[in-house]
Parts: sequence; C-alpha cells; structure tokens
Amino acid sequence: MSYVDAGYAVALTTLLVYAVSLILRRRRWERALRVSEAPATGGHDAPARGERS
Amino acid sequence: MSTPVLRPSRPRWLDAVGALGVVALGLTVWLGLWVTPPDAVQGNLARLLYIHPPIATVALYWVGIVAAGGSLLYLWPRTRSLFWDRLAASAVEVGAVFAALTLVTGSLWGRPAWGTWWTWDARLTSTALLLLLEIGYLALRRVPADPAVRARRCAVAALLIAVDIPLVHFSVDWWNTLHQGGTFIDPGFKIHASASMSWTFLLAFVAFSLIFVWLLGVRYQVEVLQDAVGDQELEVSLAERWSEDTELVGADLVGQAPAPGGGAP
Repeated sequence: MSYVDAGYAVALTTLLVYAVSLILRRRRWERALRVSEAPATGGHDAPARGERS
Repeated sequence: MSTPVLRPSRPRWLDAVGALGVVALGLTVWLGLWVTPPDAVQGNLARLLYIHPPIATVALYWVGIVAAGGSLLYLWPRTRSLFWDRLAASAVEVGAVFAALTLVTGSLWGRPAWGTWWTWDARLTSTALLLLLEIGYLALRRVPADPAVRARRCAVAALLIAVDIPLVHFSVDWWNTLHQGGTFIDPGFKIHASASMSWTFLLAFVAFSLIFVWLLGVRYQVEVLQDAVGDQELEVSLAERWSEDTELVGADLVGQAPAPGGGAP
C-alpha cells in the first residue's frame, strides 16, 4: 500500500468510525432519556428498587 | 396521558448537510486518486495534499472559530447560555479527531517527502500541542461539577486552545521550519496549480467543511441528551440493568419449567 492510499484509508476510516460512534452514542442517550422519563409517565416496565428480590 | 420527553431537535437540514458532505467527499476521493494528473515535482504523492490541508483547515480554523467563539459568548454575561458551552465542547471533540488526522496524514506525506515521519518542527509541534490541549479540555469536561462551573472552566480552557491556533498558523513565518509556507495560493491569491487540481482542492475544502458541520451537529445533540439525563445517569444505568436482569431471570424460569408430561427424570 502506498503512502497516498494509506492516507486516504486512514482519513476516511477514522471519520466513518467516529461518525458511527456518534450515532450510537446519540441512540444510547436517547434510550437513557426515555428510561429516565418513564417512571414519571408510568410507562416503564422496569421494576422499582423495592421490587427486586 | 404521557408527558412529552425533552429531546434535542434533529433538523432535516443537518441530514442534508451530511448527505452533501458524503457526496462531496466521494467526489474528492475519485478526483484526487484517479482523475487529477500527477504533480510535476511530487508525482502521485501530491494526491495526499487534496486531503491534508483541508483536514488541517477544519482542525484549526473552523474548530477554532466555533470553540473560541462559543466560549467567549458563554463567558460574556449578556450572551451566557449553555448552548454556547455545548457547542464549544462539541467543536473541541470533533476538532481532536481532525487534529489527529492532520498529524497522521501530514506524517504519511512527510515520510517520503522529507525522509522522516516526525520532526520537532514548529508547525508540527504546535499542531501536536493543539491535540494535547483538546484532549486536556475533554478530560476537564469529565470532571464532575455543577454545569455552570464546568462550563466556565471549559470556556477558559477553550480560550487556551484558541491561543495555540495563531501559533500554528504563523509558525512557518515566525520560525525557520521544515514545513513549507503557503505554496498552493500565494499572498497575491494567484493559484499555482492546474484547473483540475484546483477544483479538486476546492471541493475537498467544501467536503471536509460539510462533514465537520454534520459531525458538530450530531455531537451537539449528544451533548444535549447527556445534559438532559444529567444526574440521573446512575439511576438510568441501574434501571436498564434491572430490566436486563428481569428478562434473564424470566428466561431462566422458562428454561427450568418442567416439560409437559412429567419432565426430565
């Protein structure tokens, strides 16, 4: 692989991986926000602390 | 009736910018690797210059403007808003990625052109310092603190990063460096390249700028979501874990249930 190919490969791969990681982080935080809002709305199916045996 | 959940807006224009950026980047790669002619002096090695200076431009100028501008607007009492703090933080993280890419692509060009991967040249060293400062900023941001205190600390740190940017820019003029000064466009804005090379170079600047805007927008959304969850992060993690445990226990119980007709001996 030439230096040119390596440069393009590194740049494009890094940007792609970072973009995908950002999308996954956004999805994770959106899910976390839904979970944090759920007890207030009464729509969450996770047990409350006292319910866990 | 459920309460609406606060979420950052996901504007359609941001998706359009991202799509345009991907198309422009694809065109840049096609033109840069296959269409433009080899350089008269550097040969095919000059093809790296279609990506290295545009990436460096984003890492230095676009990131510098957003991070320093956002931090100044946060520190200024009349414009103080966490919007500016979040925007600056997002710019610094995206900037760290671009600064690292600037160093790597520059190094890949420098090895065959200069005969070395790295030298303690003023331009290279000040760019490495920029990356270190940005990593320091991101570390500082993870220190637990009240949002206002954290925002103030980070704004000051971002201004320190901004001080390094003119240092990087003028390093080739202020010191005798191995890194060349402006060679593509001279101070009189006369372009020293063929038309296809010039257009590819220009397109690369547009492509990486669009990609930067898209990354900045998505990173900003992550920042807003993080702040929205805020102190409840531990509670949320526990709730998620409990939810998983409940599902696992349920699955185990189903697995242990006796089979119809007597079960296992």
